[in-house]
This record gives sequence, structure tokens and C-alpha cells, in this order.
Amino acid sequence: MKVLATYSIKGGVGKTTSAVNLAYEAAAAGARVLVWDLDPQGAASFFLRVKPHVKGGAARIVSPKGDLDDHIRSTEFDSINVVPADFSMRNLDVRLDDIKHPVQRLAALLEPLSHRFDVAMLDCPPSISLASESVFGAADALLVPTIPTTLSSRTLEQLTGFLASWERRPLVLPYLSMVDRRKKLQRELAAWLIAEWPTLLPTAIPNASVVERMGIERSPVGAFAPDSPAARAFRQLWSDIAARLW
Amino acid sequence: MATASFTHRDLTAAALADVLRSAGFDVDEPRPARITPVDTFDGRLHSEGLRLLWDGNQLTLLADGSVPASIAVAAIPRFVTDLPAGPFRSRLAGIVDVRALLPLATSTTIDTTAVQRDANHKSVARVVIHELTGADRDRTSLVVEVDELSGHPKPAERARELLLGAGCLATDTDLVATVLLLAGVDPAGTRSSPTVPLDTSLPAAAGFRAVLANLRDAIEANWSGTVDDTDPEFLHDLRVAVRRTRSVLANAKEVLPADLLADFRDEFGWLGEVTGPPRDLDVYVIEWPGYVAPLPTAARQALDPVLRHLESRRSAAHRALVDALRSDRARGLLAAWDDWLDTAPRTEDSSAPLSQRPLGDVVRKRLRKAQSTLVQQGRRIDADSPAEQLHELRKDAKRLRYLLECFGGVLDPAATKEFVKRLKGLQENLGDHQDAEVHAHELRLMSHEMAGEPGRTETLLALGALSERLEQAKSDARSEFTHRFAAFDSDAAHRSFRRLLEGLGE
Repeated sequence: MKVLATYSIKGGVGKTTSAVNLAYEAAAAGARVLVWDLDPQGAASFFLRVKPHVKGGAARIVSPKGDLDDHIRSTEFDSINVVPADFSMRNLDVRLDDIKHPVQRLAALLEPLSHRFDVAMLDCPPSISLASESVFGAADALLVPTIPTTLSSRTLEQLTGFLASWERRPLVLPYLSMVDRRKKLQRELAAWLIAEWPTLLPTAIPNASVVERMGIERSPVGAFAPDSPAARAFRQLWSDIAARLW
Repeated sequence: MATASFTHRDLTAAALADVLRSAGFDVDEPRPARITPVDTFDGRLHSEGLRLLWDGNQLTLLADGSVPASIAVAAIPRFVTDLPAGPFRSRLAGIVDVRALLPLATSTTIDTTAVQRDANHKSVARVVIHELTGADRDRTSLVVEVDELSGHPKPAERARELLLGAGCLATDTDLVATVLLLAGVDPAGTRSSPTVPLDTSLPAAAGFRAVLANLRDAIEANWSGTVDDTDPEFLHDLRVAVRRTRSVLANAKEVLPADLLADFRDEFGWLGEVTGPPRDLDVYVIEWPGYVAPLPTAARQALDPVLRHLESRRSAAHRALVDALRSDRARGLLAAWDDWLDTAPRTEDSSAPLSQRPLGDVVRKRLRKAQSTLVQQGRRIDADSPAEQLHELRKDAKRLRYLLECFGGVLDPAATKEFVKRLKGLQENLGDHQDAEVHAHELRLMSHEMAGEPGRTETLLALGALSERLEQAKSDARSEFTHRFAAFDSDAAHRSFRRLLEGLGE
């Protein structure tokens, strides 16, 4: 099983829409996918029509008796299951701080599921915290949606700098997100970022109203608008990611 | 996803749909569907508890305790390597290897899907009613499947109770099993085992006849797949069955009539020879990616013409093989062999001196001889021995192995397994040496053939680099031989062999 995490220190960059849409495209490409909604906002759970509730909350998950299998829920897509969000996950840092080996905890929870799923897609809240470190400890790759702004490069530097000292660090796969090609400044900044960060994945996700419609359709874009540019972009982005990992 | 299956003798699909509708399920209109279970000739996916299904648009891989995985394909891929890279292909590749994916049966059904939803309009229970028409077209069967969706056990339980209440019967035969049953297809596929049930007290001629009949079945099972070149394992299994046949015939001296042995040994010898070159080239093409992987990208690309040349030679070798298999000589051999094996034992069979001896006695004697030959020949090999001696030793090892496999029915399974593990250690080393030797030789031949062609400088340089690697592999295998043979010639190995013989009496 490959563990992927949509991650950014910044909020509002497209982590959750990426997690849900990439999970859909991964499933369409033949993977069995488990989405783990780690964001207390529960947007991924909402998009996938799963009630954002985990019995016992973060405390139970993090405890020695914690077993993700107890919390897995189906979705409308047979190949995608979800561990839903819970509002108590806002205290995940505190809970992890109380246990031994907090950085290994999420990996330990995912390990027993490694034969049942091919991809675990973690939707992370925007932060850099002990919970984030536990995500880094579990992930094979961090998918980092990057809006074309000057500060985005600084954000990527912070992340790669933080991970530099890690012996076993996840692959960092940044990609351009919410790109509005009608705006000249965005085009210029996108080109600048591509030059600054050769590791940027080649496919950019456009800023598109069809992605906003996910909240109405409560479904991935690939399911209700498969021929839209956004759906095609997520499909291609999944291919870019898969080529790096398989 | 767990699925429970039900059937009903009397109710129609429409009536069952009404029952579900009345219980609050959203029921779709019936629609035609197609189901084609797919597996290898020898049922590899089935043996791993997996099911691969094609519905005309996508392949779905099902495993107990796991969600399905699906990928859109316009047609069933012939080989796993025809699928795009990713987890779906990776899961299949380790199990299927080089075998072709074959459709086992196809059935069309009329499916009615009923779904129960929660307040978020999310599915919490799903029932699918499949109507199948049998071969006679007069009868339709119903297979009703209840999918338990993760996190929603109670709705699934209520659905099952609803169906039972409507008079459905729970069954272990789900839709896929029903389709295969109606088509008369065994999901386990065809596996040719060289071992048949035998008794040590059986007259030797009868025992040898039973073993040879089993090997004949393996030859026939793999014949069409070899002619059609469906996948390389058909030729491999055919060739192994032919070699085992030759080996058993060689060991049948004084057990079966001498004139019979002479005729059939010659003919199976010919059949073995015609399968040799195409099999060698199959192995080369299969091993090629592993050989070139360590080379730099430019060298790998420069070797593409060599691979094409290899594939062309392979195709030609297969065409020659097909001509041989379709010849009167091959047909005559199979007909005569069937005739001798399938007629009742004739009195001439008891003319050979050992024909009526207990099978256990004869097998014990043959095993001792084969083991002794292998050990004595192996001890003669030193650092200066030519490669041909290792090749001959490899044949000696195979003869012993074939005896163990074909007459395994009279041997203790645990003792056999333990000794075969030791023998395999030696055989692997001899196989590595032989493959490197043969493939290096092929490369030298191809170098000469391509040397005169214009624009081949990069290719020839890359060929040189590859040849060096193969020579190194051969040298490594040769260095390893001393250690491997010493392990086989150890006291522990000899004790293991004696334990093997114990069950045959002294």
C-alpha cells in the first residue's frame, strides 16, 4: 500500500478537493483506495457523503486499542472507502503528545490495512505540528498543492527544509493548484515556480467552478463531470503521481 | 466487501424487486449485463482466492475482505503487462507471471439493482438480482446478492432477513460460481501434476503405465496452447512432460517390453528436440528485461534491435515447432501412445523381467542409481572442468528430480519435500550457469550476424557490455557450484536421501 498525503502548511490551496479527486482517479485506474479524513472540518467526508463521526474520537484512534478497521465506511464508489473526520481530531496533537512514539502512530494504524488497500489518501489539516509529523512518518509521498504566488516557494522551502533532517522522509511532490490561466500574473508566477522547483509535477490543476460544484453534487468531479478540464487534469495528475510511485 | 448469495425457485425477479421496493429500497430498471470470469489456464487467480471479471467495459478484481478494484479496458488483456503500470497490474503480475489471461465463460444476465439509502442519500445496503438463462434457454435462474457495505452491517442483515422472509434460500454458489457451473468450467483450471496415487506393492509395469498415462494427459492438455502460442508456459509444461516421459521410459528398462521402449524413446526424443530451440528462445525473451536492467539507458536503447532480432528468431522457431506438432509423425506418435496406454495391459507387458516386481523395489533401485550417478559425476568436477560437464550434471540432476516427482506416489511426502529442497539448491545453480552459457553464446552469434549491418556500432558496443555481464554471471555461477555441490554431497543430505528410501522398504 502506498500512503499519500495531501499536505500544505497553508489553507485554502486545494488539499481536500485534490484528495477526493485523486482518490477517485486512483480508483478509476484500478487502485483500492482508503481516504482518511484527518481534517476536523470534515470536508472530504462531506464530499463523499460519509457522516463525520468516529466512535471514541481521536482519543480512541490514538490509544493502544485504536483500530482503523472499526471506523472504515463505504462510499458510493465501491473501490473507495473512508475513515471519516471527527471534530475531536482538532486535538490530535494533544493526544499524540500523550503517547510513546507519536510520529509512528499513524503508520502503525495504517499498517494492518496494507493488504486490503493499494492507496491510503490522507487529507491533512493545514498546519505544521506533531500530527503533521505523524503524517510524514506514515507517508510515502506528500502531494503539495501549490498556488502560483511568491509565498508558495517559501512554503515549499520551509517544508523541504524541515524534512531534510529526516532519515526516512516522504517524497515531496508539489504541483500547481487553482491556476487561473486568464490572469497574466498567475501565468508568470506559474512559470517562475516551475523554474524554481524542477520537482513540480507537470500537470497543473485549473481554478474551475466545476470543482466548487463538488459541494453541491457531493461527489468527485470525475464522477459528475468526467470530460471537464478539471477532471481531465486530476486524471493526468494521478498518472504523474503513479509514474513516480509504481 | 462481503457478499451473501441467495436463490429462489419460484419468485420472478420482478416479484422480488417489489418485495424490496416495499421495504424502502430504490429499485432500478432491469438492465442487461455481461459477466466473463477470467483466469489463467491453471487457475492461478482462483488458487489465490481472487476473481477477475470482465463486463465488456472494465476488469474487476475481487478478493474476500477487500473492496473491489476496477479498471476500464475495451478487451481482456492477453498478458498482465498489457495493462497500464499501477497497483492493479502489480497485484496480478506476481500471481499470473507470464501466463495469458483467458476468458473462462461468458454469460449475459438481466440485473436489477436495489439500494437502500440514508439521510445523506448514501447507499447503506445493496441487493442485486441476477437473472441467468441456462443453456437450454427454457429455464432462468435467479442469483440474488446482498453486498455488505463497510460500516453498515445492520442494513445488510435486514436485507438478508427480508430475502429469507420472501422464501429465498441462502447458497454458497454465487453468481460467478453459477456462471462457471452452467458452462461446465472448473475454476481451479488445469494443473498437470507429475505425481499419481501409487502403491509400493503394485506390479512395476502397472505403476510405470499409470505414471506414463498421467504424463500423456499433461502433454495433451498443453498441446493446443503450444500450437496457438497462447503463452510460454504451455510449451514449458509440454516440454517438461515430454522430458519426464523420456526419463520414465529410460528407467523402465526391464520393466516394460524392450521393443516398445526403443520405439517410443526415439520418438519422444525427437519431440523433445523440436521443443528445445523455441523454449530456449522463450526463456531468453522472458529474461531479457532482467539482463538489460543494470545497463545505462543509452545501452538499453541500443540493444532494442537485438531484442527485435531475438523475437524474430523466437517466432521462426515457434513456426517450425508448430509444423512439427502438426506433422504426421507427431500425430502418429500420440495415436500410438494413446493406443498402448489405454488398452488393457497385454500379456507381453509381463514379459520383461522386472514387470511383476513390486513397484517400491524398482523405484528404490532406480533412485539409488540416479543419486549415485549424480554424486559421482559431481565429485569429478573441479575448477578446470569444461562447461559441458556441468551441463551433463544438470541432466543427471533432472533425471533424479523427475524420478522423485513422477514416483512421488510411493514416497513419503515430508521426506521427499526435504530432499527435493536440497536438490533444488544444486539445480538452481546449474540452471543459472546453463542459461548464462546459452544466452552468451546466442549473443555472440547475433553479434556476428549484425556485424556487417550498417549503423550498428552502438548496438554492437552494447552487445559487448551485455556479453560481459553474462560471462560474469556464468563465472559467478561456476564459483558458487563448489559450495552448492558440497551442500548436496553433505552427510545431512545423504541422511535425507536415506530417509526418503525408508518408506520403500529395504
